[in-house]
Amino acid sequence: MALRDRHRLAAPLAVVGGIVALAVAAPLLPLPDPVTIEVAARLAPPSPGHWLGQDEYGRDVLSRVIWGARASLAVAFVSALVAGLAGTLLGLLGGYFRGVVEILTVRSAEAVLCFPPLLLALLVVTLLGPGAATLIVALSILYAPAYARVAYAETLAARNLDYVVAQEALGARSGRILARTVLPNVAPPLLVQFSLTVASAMVLESGLSFLGLGVVPPEPSWGLMIRGARSTMEQAPWLLLWPCLALTGTIVALNLLCDVLRDVLDPRGRTVAANPFRRFAGSLLPAAPSAAPPPALLRVEGLHLEIGSGPDALQAIRDVSLTLASGETLAVVGESGSGKTLTGLAILGLLPPVVRVTAGRILYTGRDGTTRDLARLDEAAFRRLRGDELAMVFQDPSASLNPVHRVGDQVAEAIRAHRDVGAAAARGQAVALLDRVGLPDAARRSRAYPHELSGGQRQRAVIAAAIANGPRLLIADEPTTALDVTIQAQILALLASLKAQAGGMGLIFVTHNLAVVSEIADRVAVMYVGEVVEEGPVAVVFARPRHPYTAALIASVPEGDDERLSAIPGTVPPLHDLPAGCRFAPRCGFAEAACRTAPPVLEAVAARHSTRCRRWREVG
Amino acid sequence: MLGYAARRSVVALGLVWVVATLVFLVIHLIPGDPAELLLSQGGFAPDPAAVAELRERLGLDRPLPEQYLAYLGDLARGDLGRSLLDEHPVAEEIALRLPRTLELILAAALLAVAVGLPLGTLAALRAGGIGDRVLSVLAGVAMSVPVFVIGTLAVLVFAQKLRWVSAGGFTPFDRDPLGHLALLAMPAATIAVGLAAVVFRMTRSSILEVLGRDYVRTAVAKGVAPLRIVVHHVVRNALIPVVTVLALHLGTLLGGTVLVEYVFNWPGLSGYLVNAVEARDYPEVMGIVLVISVLFVLLNLAVDLLYALLDPRVRHA
Repeated sequence: MALRDRHRLAAPLAVVGGIVALAVAAPLLPLPDPVTIEVAARLAPPSPGHWLGQDEYGRDVLSRVIWGARASLAVAFVSALVAGLAGTLLGLLGGYFRGVVEILTVRSAEAVLCFPPLLLALLVVTLLGPGAATLIVALSILYAPAYARVAYAETLAARNLDYVVAQEALGARSGRILARTVLPNVAPPLLVQFSLTVASAMVLESGLSFLGLGVVPPEPSWGLMIRGARSTMEQAPWLLLWPCLALTGTIVALNLLCDVLRDVLDPRGRTVAANPFRRFAGSLLPAAPSAAPPPALLRVEGLHLEIGSGPDALQAIRDVSLTLASGETLAVVGESGSGKTLTGLAILGLLPPVVRVTAGRILYTGRDGTTRDLARLDEAAFRRLRGDELAMVFQDPSASLNPVHRVGDQVAEAIRAHRDVGAAAARGQAVALLDRVGLPDAARRSRAYPHELSGGQRQRAVIAAAIANGPRLLIADEPTTALDVTIQAQILALLASLKAQAGGMGLIFVTHNLAVVSEIADRVAVMYVGEVVEEGPVAVVFARPRHPYTAALIASVPEGDDERLSAIPGTVPPLHDLPAGCRFAPRCGFAEAACRTAPPVLEAVAARHSTRCRRWREVG
Repeated sequence: MLGYAARRSVVALGLVWVVATLVFLVIHLIPGDPAELLLSQGGFAPDPAAVAELRERLGLDRPLPEQYLAYLGDLARGDLGRSLLDEHPVAEEIALRLPRTLELILAAALLAVAVGLPLGTLAALRAGGIGDRVLSVLAGVAMSVPVFVIGTLAVLVFAQKLRWVSAGGFTPFDRDPLGHLALLAMPAATIAVGLAAVVFRMTRSSILEVLGRDYVRTAVAKGVAPLRIVVHHVVRNALIPVVTVLALHLGTLLGGTVLVEYVFNWPGLSGYLVNAVEARDYPEVMGIVLVISVLFVLLNLAVDLLYALLDPRVRHA
């Protein structure tokens, strides 16, 4: 357990431990007897002999609060323990043997869950009469199914672990496997369940006692004390306060302990999802009108992106420069982790909150002729561009469509976000768009939900939404990766034909698949661990790559019947441990001493063709 | 959607039968003679004549299958038996009191959603901020305080000290609508405190999760306004788990209102139930438990249908 976790557990554990210790030590403490009645001192206020005063029978309140903890905690712990043992056993057996055993154990225990909890407890009280023993029986029955469920689920999971399967194969006896292997695995969630049960049992115990159906007077219990103090509320309101405080405080501490325990024992719950509305501070700077460069559609200049902040920050993108003219298609190629997707997201201002632009500009020349720096555009201005002039198609069409809305409505939403049209008109336009992207029977399918469409059809719908407002720049981030091979070609053809129809739309096609690049792109930028290593016209780069990495990538593409692929030796270095000189040097056949010390700069091979290799003349 | 509703309804009907059978079995599964058990007080053996008479009245002297069929037949006619003490029909009393309990739960649920849902959404959108942290701590405490403690303290403060409202009671709506609502306010708010905390927590975590989904990014990429993204894309999807949790808690409340009704003297099912348990009036307890459990099943059916309405994928499952 990490030190930080232990610190977080310390406070709630100390409070709960203190309460338990106080309750256990009650007989040893110099307290007045909690049931001795002193009628003359009825409702007496606090005095030196009775620090918290005396109750409606003149009994010492402090003593009763401490002794009351004993009753409440005893009932809660014992019933949680009994329920835990019984439920865990049922769950283990049911999860391990399945079949009939499962029905007899887990499923029949779950029948208890058909009843509201307090009601079931009252049913038991009716049959057995009130009292602490009855409470323990009732609460045990009540909580056993929860343990059974947890143990059952964890046993199912643990059973399939390799080493359990291996033990079975080796012929170990099932009892032994259960005790030695499965039980340690199910222990942490059961521990969380135990603390949950104790807290919940205390609430129920005090509630039943409050109703007069739990602990039997004169034995002290917090619920009974609140019940008693209620009748003298007018004369002695403070009597209500002590048991209420004790009960609430204990339960708050127990619940806090549960929360921390769950966090510590189940790290899965710890991840906090990214929030797309919290944008990095840099983008909130006012948009500075930049000195107008030549009217390229998009010029990314020296872009640097950092993941995280402080000394642990990772330089995900370093000095990336790209240009794209109207009507051009630029393919950004690289392995996973090369930063190609982040570059695309940065252009649309969709970076996750942990990623920041630390340097560079993203100059975009809009429909109105003005050039803006997208790296510093404020969110409101960005929103007017997104979905209108700038659009994006994502990798996984099933995740990028909202499952609860009809696809036609999701296309119409893009239209209505930017144009003042009525709902019916937008819906009509959406059908036309879906028809245009080749969705068969578009009028009917526009009323379908995403899960009713095939993967290819979903991607067509996503593309329809992206081109709804005739964007000037479309970024397609691996739009065919999640699709079947046969569908991939269709989507590529669709993108190509859409681009041909829409005069002047620039397309950035992000992919790891070199084979599709030559089919669709005019220009290609090859990325390697956050840097562009080569950029140029597709025909030129493919015919004569000027960077060893590009050359190696091309060599690794299967061609025709030639089965021999040359894999690139070595592995991609992690971002936190990049080589000092050229990032590719350790895997490069051309690397020389200079390559390993100083990082190479981008050199021009020809007009609009550059490479980040000092030996480019010898490559290719 | 209709087919789905029909399938779920059949399952629910089956569950109602299971619940009815379980309630029937409870008295027969107890070791020993149930009549003797019910009549025994403090360890003294009950009068054998009284035991024999009770056995006959409850029909315990007949063979088990015959008892079971008679029980199901009575249920089908809406007959839940008669009180052991005064022969009053149980079904009649339940019909009178059940609407009051349901009204209380409904009012509490509306209050809880009205408070918990917007606050949970705001906290998620500003996750990690001061407001989020304060609200999360408050919710943690609100969930921990037992409902009868809140109720009792509320009576102490608002009725005894401030004298804003009366301590409890009931006025029929048709006689005095305003008075009725005034008396409803405090018990409903008492239940709502814990429930709102649950709704808040669930909404917050659910929204945080949905915010990270790809389709939210798609909506941002389409240039959709933030408010519309939150309402149309995030909340709608985030609601699905919230509805489930809320319904589960409402089911628990069907039993849990017992305490609140007791504190505020609200003449719902619970006063009836508590008296029945105290008197060990077996037919009354069985009748109330059966009705509430059936409601519990129906509530779960309603949730399943609502779920299907919110999430089109469920309809085809």
